[in-house]
Amino acid sequence: MLKTAKQRWLCGFVFFCVAIASAASQEATSFPAAATEFVQLIQSRAGSPSAVSVTFQNLSSLSPERLEALQNAIFNSFRNANVRVVKPEQAVAEVHITFSEDWQGYLLISGIQQGSSSQTVIKKLPRSQQAQSAHATALTIRKLAVWQQETPVLDFYQDNQNLLVLEPNQVAVYSMDSGQWRPRQTLGIPHQNPWPRDLRGRLEVHGGEINAFLPGARCSGKISPPSLDCRASDDPWPMGEGLVAFFSPRKNFFNGLLAGPSAGASVAPFFSGATWQSSDQHVWLFTGTDGHTRLFQNDLGTPTATFNGWGSTLAPVHSVCGSGWQVLTSSPADTTRPDSVQAIEISGHEALPVSAPVDLAGTVEALWTAGNYGQLVNGVLHSQQGKYEAFTLTVICNQ
Amino acid sequence: MKRLLLQLFAISSLLLLAAGAYGGSRPRYGGTVRILLHDRVLSIDPLGDEDRPAARDRMAALAFENLTQVDAQGRLRPGLATSWHADQAKRAWQFRLRLANFHDGTVLTAADVAASLAKSNPAWKYSAVDRQTVSIETPYTVQQMPELLALPRYAIVKRQADGNNPPILIGTGSYKLNQWQAGEHAQFTANEDYWGGRPFADSIEFQMGSSVREQLMDRQLGTYAATELSVDQIRNVEQNNQILTLSRPADLLALVFLQPDSGGRPGRKPVDARVRQALGLTINRAAISNVIFQRKAIAASGLLPQWLTGYEFMFSGATNIDRAKELRADAAAFVVISPIALAYDFADPLARLAAERIAVDAREAGIIIQPYAESHLYSKAARASINADAVLLRMPLQSLDPSVALAARIDDLGLPQESSAVILGATRPEDLLEIERKLLESNRVLPVAHVPQVLWLNNTAHNWQQDLNGGWNLDQLWMEGAR
Repeated sequence: MLKTAKQRWLCGFVFFCVAIASAASQEATSFPAAATEFVQLIQSRAGSPSAVSVTFQNLSSLSPERLEALQNAIFNSFRNANVRVVKPEQAVAEVHITFSEDWQGYLLISGIQQGSSSQTVIKKLPRSQQAQSAHATALTIRKLAVWQQETPVLDFYQDNQNLLVLEPNQVAVYSMDSGQWRPRQTLGIPHQNPWPRDLRGRLEVHGGEINAFLPGARCSGKISPPSLDCRASDDPWPMGEGLVAFFSPRKNFFNGLLAGPSAGASVAPFFSGATWQSSDQHVWLFTGTDGHTRLFQNDLGTPTATFNGWGSTLAPVHSVCGSGWQVLTSSPADTTRPDSVQAIEISGHEALPVSAPVDLAGTVEALWTAGNYGQLVNGVLHSQQGKYEAFTLTVICNQ
Repeated sequence: MKRLLLQLFAISSLLLLAAGAYGGSRPRYGGTVRILLHDRVLSIDPLGDEDRPAARDRMAALAFENLTQVDAQGRLRPGLATSWHADQAKRAWQFRLRLANFHDGTVLTAADVAASLAKSNPAWKYSAVDRQTVSIETPYTVQQMPELLALPRYAIVKRQADGNNPPILIGTGSYKLNQWQAGEHAQFTANEDYWGGRPFADSIEFQMGSSVREQLMDRQLGTYAATELSVDQIRNVEQNNQILTLSRPADLLALVFLQPDSGGRPGRKPVDARVRQALGLTINRAAISNVIFQRKAIAASGLLPQWLTGYEFMFSGATNIDRAKELRADAAAFVVISPIALAYDFADPLARLAAERIAVDAREAGIIIQPYAESHLYSKAARASINADAVLLRMPLQSLDPSVALAARIDDLGLPQESSAVILGATRPEDLLEIERKLLESNRVLPVAHVPQVLWLNNTAHNWQQDLNGGWNLDQLWMEGAR
């Protein structure tokens, strides 16, 4: 066990180093092109002098190694342009280059002095994305990115041939072609009233039949041939195996009234819920809109435990680890900080974290149990870069 | 071993959960957000000559929207316009509008937008191409029109005549103005029919002009979601482990001479250009930033900060007393050098300290500065009638686009508007650098410091986004404890 953990730490560290090195190398490879363009600008502005003197100043956060690479790239560009780099007293023009930066990237600023005239050339150099810090932990949750787009994703479905993405105004259908998802069709979701903020939706696909649930609306259709028919509806939403609940038509939560197998029962309004059968016990968990997560065991009358400080989104996952059922829950954060997801097991009336939190670079918008046996969780992330990412989470057992 | 690791996980994770206290990434509906504003705002009209325009714009952004908006990361986003395009010369622009309603229930049309923008900038031509498309024609190239239209002054406002009273202002924003007591209190309530969905909070209330210092002493801030602080109040709050957010040093503290060299107010003489230059060489900007602003500000040599443009370092802000003395002596040979009356904002104690420090520095070169407090510095009309030779102003950075920010700053500082056309047409950063250099050459504006905005946040307030320039983005704000 310890050996395995050590190996994972080592892997994490190696991954971290590789990521950093890769980012640095990407940046370094972009330097020659930027330097060539910069020198061309200087040349055109200075009337192509045959000999220049070059001095440098650094006001940026570029590391000494990158700085050196950039300086060498600039010298090479002058040489390639048949411009001699000489001492100031022999120079036709004196070029003073400053490496600066603004909030978006680096700037190469050149002051060109030719006799009494002086000119300035500025070239912007986008900052490469920082290498994401690798988190070396005893990982039990594995995240796999499925799809990414600029516009909001509410939920998604995928099988070997199809990817369906539920968006506020459409279901986008993609087909697998040569290992890539290619757009096939978009099926519109007309709606009369504005959608609520923090819009949520649920997409279910069974045997080629599509069912999409949005606040106050329901759409039904088929994957092949693609069709979708939407109508105003307050039908309850399927939340996973054995849990069906009514969603508030103008807000972002379930109003607490349950349907399906628990029809007639009601709990406090909640954002997210889970239910499963564990040995002889029926378990429900609801993340209430009041910030409390309530645990019910065998009956929905009175909670057997209340937990505080959980995130508002959770989904159960069926695994071969531990008791066989874990709940993946988002961290208690908000859109100003990135979220994490952690696996929790219910033992008696207690909730025990059974994995380290997995940091996700953004806000977890949705988690829904998926797969035939509930063995994976589909999630949607609103990334810090402003993009929406559909992903899956699976639980891997520690040895 | 597995059990031990699980227990360790459990302990560490439960500690994490406890530290996280309450919450979750899903926003809660309901509740009232109470905000303390330092300044007293008299009108919410985005085009009014308000004495406290920065505070006004913060409130107005709740009720009024622009065709475009800039998010907390500085990215341009659609606002009331969903798309736009321009001709090759970037002098003719078309904006396609989304379906949205004004607070009075009427539908937003291209004619409404054209009428509103015509008030914002009468120098341009506006027309409704169809019900949902508005066109803008400018006499000169405007490279960054979408970024420009995100400025508060371009907010889309329907002005409804109200007899002899000022017109009633109607917006499309996510909150409606419900109560207004000029200079005292404002309440905005959620717009249930907002095109982007009802906002999470039921209402947002502003208490204006409260003395934060007194509030801190009384420890009554718990009932508020947020309040503005000045740099000298940071230490008190930090000691109590409170949440503070500081923007980038974005505001410009600058000394502005009111009289241009020619064509100024009759009876008022401009301060001699050599004396202005000499004064600029006496100001110890580093001392003002480090001591008065407690190292939270940065010495300014340009109109825009280094972090925004990357080229501010090319303007010199160094002190040179010997050169200042020479310039003063040179001027004294030709003109009588009178003491310079310098007005500062009476409501800003740090501005008083900075003005006094400038006066001390100037004395070294034989220049007499007489600082005094004024209550109305930021209204252009009031500034035109005061008796000061110069004013010490603190101006917010209005945009994260350098050309738009520079054009807005020129307008705020009351500098000649001719340069705006050149700025907005600039395609290269070096063009902006040259324009700024020329503006600074006259020494009518002496940059002193770039100062951050400081905000105290209650930990029950979530998704309060402070933009890089200190602006507030309250679009996704929600309060803990709300149902």
